[in-house]
Amino acid sequence: MNEKHAAGQSSRPIFNRRQFINRVAAWSAGALAAPPVFQLVPQAKAAPTQPLLAVAKGADYEAILTKVLEPLGGLAPFVKKGAKVVVKPNIGWDRTPEQAANTHPLLVKAMIKHCLDAGASKVMVFDRTANDCRLTYVTSGIRKIVESINDPRVSCTFVDDRKFVPVKIAKGKAVTEWDFYKDALDADCYINIPVAKHHCLAGLTLGLKNIFGVVGGKRGELHQSLGQKIADLNTVRPSTLTVIDATRILLRNGPSGGKLDDVKELHTLIASADTVAADAYATTLFDMKPDAVESTRCAAAMGLGEMGLNKVKIVKV
Amino acid sequence: MKNRRLRVPWKWLRRAVQLAFLFVFLWLFRQTESDGTGILHPAANLLFRLDPLVGASAILAGKELIALVWPTLITIALTLVLGRFFCGWVCPLGTLLDVAHRPLPKRDTPPDPRWRIVKFFLLGVVLVSAGFGMQLIGYVNPFSILVRGLAVAVDPWLNRSVTAPFTWLYKNAPESVTNVTEPVYEFLKAGVLPFQQNAFVWAGLSFAILAAVFALELVERRFWCRNLCPSGALMGLMARFALLRRLPTRVCGHCKAVADCDEFCRMGAFDEQERLIPESCNLCLDCVSGCPSGVARFGFRKTKAAPAPLEPSRRLFLASLATGVALPAVARVARDGSRLPDDLIRPPGARGEREFLDLCVRCAECMKVCPTNALQPALFESGVEGAFSPRLMAELGYCEYNCTLCGQVCPTSAIRRLPVAEKQKFIMGKAVFDKDLCIPFAKGESCITCEEHCPLPEKAILFREAEAVVKKTGQRAIVKQPFTVLSLCIGCGICETKCPLPGKRGVRVVREETVPPDVKKEYEELEKTNPRPAGGPAAERAAGY
Repeated sequence: MNEKHAAGQSSRPIFNRRQFINRVAAWSAGALAAPPVFQLVPQAKAAPTQPLLAVAKGADYEAILTKVLEPLGGLAPFVKKGAKVVVKPNIGWDRTPEQAANTHPLLVKAMIKHCLDAGASKVMVFDRTANDCRLTYVTSGIRKIVESINDPRVSCTFVDDRKFVPVKIAKGKAVTEWDFYKDALDADCYINIPVAKHHCLAGLTLGLKNIFGVVGGKRGELHQSLGQKIADLNTVRPSTLTVIDATRILLRNGPSGGKLDDVKELHTLIASADTVAADAYATTLFDMKPDAVESTRCAAAMGLGEMGLNKVKIVKV
Repeated sequence: MKNRRLRVPWKWLRRAVQLAFLFVFLWLFRQTESDGTGILHPAANLLFRLDPLVGASAILAGKELIALVWPTLITIALTLVLGRFFCGWVCPLGTLLDVAHRPLPKRDTPPDPRWRIVKFFLLGVVLVSAGFGMQLIGYVNPFSILVRGLAVAVDPWLNRSVTAPFTWLYKNAPESVTNVTEPVYEFLKAGVLPFQQNAFVWAGLSFAILAAVFALELVERRFWCRNLCPSGALMGLMARFALLRRLPTRVCGHCKAVADCDEFCRMGAFDEQERLIPESCNLCLDCVSGCPSGVARFGFRKTKAAPAPLEPSRRLFLASLATGVALPAVARVARDGSRLPDDLIRPPGARGEREFLDLCVRCAECMKVCPTNALQPALFESGVEGAFSPRLMAELGYCEYNCTLCGQVCPTSAIRRLPVAEKQKFIMGKAVFDKDLCIPFAKGESCITCEEHCPLPEKAILFREAEAVVKKTGQRAIVKQPFTVLSLCIGCGICETKCPLPGKRGVRVVREETVPPDVKKEYEELEKTNPRPAGGPAAERAAGY
């Protein structure tokens, strides 16, 4: 069925958000029906553009990833057979997993496995780091766990400065041109797996802010009108799927953190094809309203997604 | 030695050993780099710890026994048995000079052989002035000159020259070409080239000194080793008592070869009366391999014929003594140590300025290993003797919070090897904001990039929300204006490095004692009125999730 959808599409993305949402909604509607029946449901008959968001909780992070993806139809709707996939965690800081400044390595590993199971031909893991990348890749535990998968399709590499290419941001309001990482632009599927944490300036750093890991240049220059610039950058490389790592969240002193007192264990994952909706929901975990985060507001205003949680179909599993 | 008829190919054996040691040296040089684990190869600094002059001058200047230099005892012991073998068989600079000599034009008129006593003068000056508290070894130690030249100049330049064509092809060539070049590039990046493109201030100066050593090969073969090298001089003095010796200790005089040993000796190790100079012979064994009659050999047997007498005269000794005493005194006058530039930041774990300069042998290993390229060679900021000592230039790079590599690589513990937890508390300097430049003050726009990067668990940068005029629009807006919690700041410099301002940054790390009292007072006041956001988002106060 992937092929059927892909047939009418240009090279990327696999299918757009609306198509995806329709299909997910159809899946939910026909939850009790057998898959052959689902295939017969015409897209037009599905519910209108209500984004779907799944939340899962549990101590086994690999298991809750499988659970949280279930309502979305697993990874199959996102990762075509033979697709080149970028899995983009946060590996920005020279911090250990329990310090909650980077994405949990177990989540990275589980996501890669799902991609491989879905038939990805290539899974690339990288991040443009804030601290020295050699340190962050080791301390975060991510490099080691990715290498433990030991599959030639999987790579965990440092960012190569040569691969940043200038991109005109047609829809950009605050930033109209910036360098983007070629591998992220070229990927068939871009899976965004940020860690949810406090950010001194942005309020929180969630799915939208994670775009900073695939952009070049002097990122401090993006700190003026940060929220709008984050939204602008996301128009260039929208996430195919966002899974927010709230297994533990950083409540204060973010984004770098460093103090275990600031970390709260929630054992939660949030998944949605709508990054704005995912961010909006994740914000509530900090006991904040979705509109407290400027980037969420800006992105919603640009039509990048839905921040009104009452308009989002939330499935807790 | 007994089986002289077997004719061991000594020359080739020596060359093989030389190349092997050169390879080990270059391999260790490449290992002197972060791999992300925070642990450095323990032998990365071995060359310096083997050199008796490094050990002696650091101990003399620092007035303390430095345990780290124990491997030099091996060198001393072997030198007392074998003589100045290190220079002929081990020293990577010597090997490189031998290699460089081959293509160079040969001169017919060698310089005055008495140049060879200069090395004893330099040795005396270095040791005496070290004793009087001035470390000059960075100017004359062969390993400091070599490693520093390689680390700050040759290696970065080589990396640039090798990667540039690959980068150009990567960006411009069709895929059919890059399909071939990229694997080569990957291979080079993985094993041969340094991890990152470093850049160092005054790289040309360190290169010029290294290049001069090589240029002297034009004057005479191994000119540096024969005449100038103070490390060689020290080992040479030990070699006088060595058990192994070239026999006979004179040019035998009935040679059928075209040239006598003294004519082709690369070290010029025979004096004007054709007597062997034990201080000069580096056991290259050319004379053994080249001897047509099989007379020349090396053996442990004593002979009646005495070698050349000890060369450094009393006058030379007194001259070096006088110079060694005078230089520190003159330098003291020229420099007022209490007034160092405010941005002369020393590496984490560095001893106090005086002690630090005494122990530092200017090897540049710390600059080589620093993962952010923050450590740079100083020029004369702390006097003539401070040249080539490491300083942290926060506008170029910062000190990684969890990194202790410079302390691990320092061969003389001028930078102490602190445990990570202790190093994280080591105060290098303090960050001070410049309101004329810092964006929220000067432009009325938000920024806080500095606070974002502050690695301390309790952030050493806080901010107050203040109304400011937005320069672009002329309107007023509330922005977060940063200040430093001086009691917490360790001066790692990441705030300065990451400050988005081009050129001069809105925040600078300065020496702790140079923070102006009024700034101190202001920050303390701000800390009282703008307490740390204790609850942060109300998450914790909320009842459960």
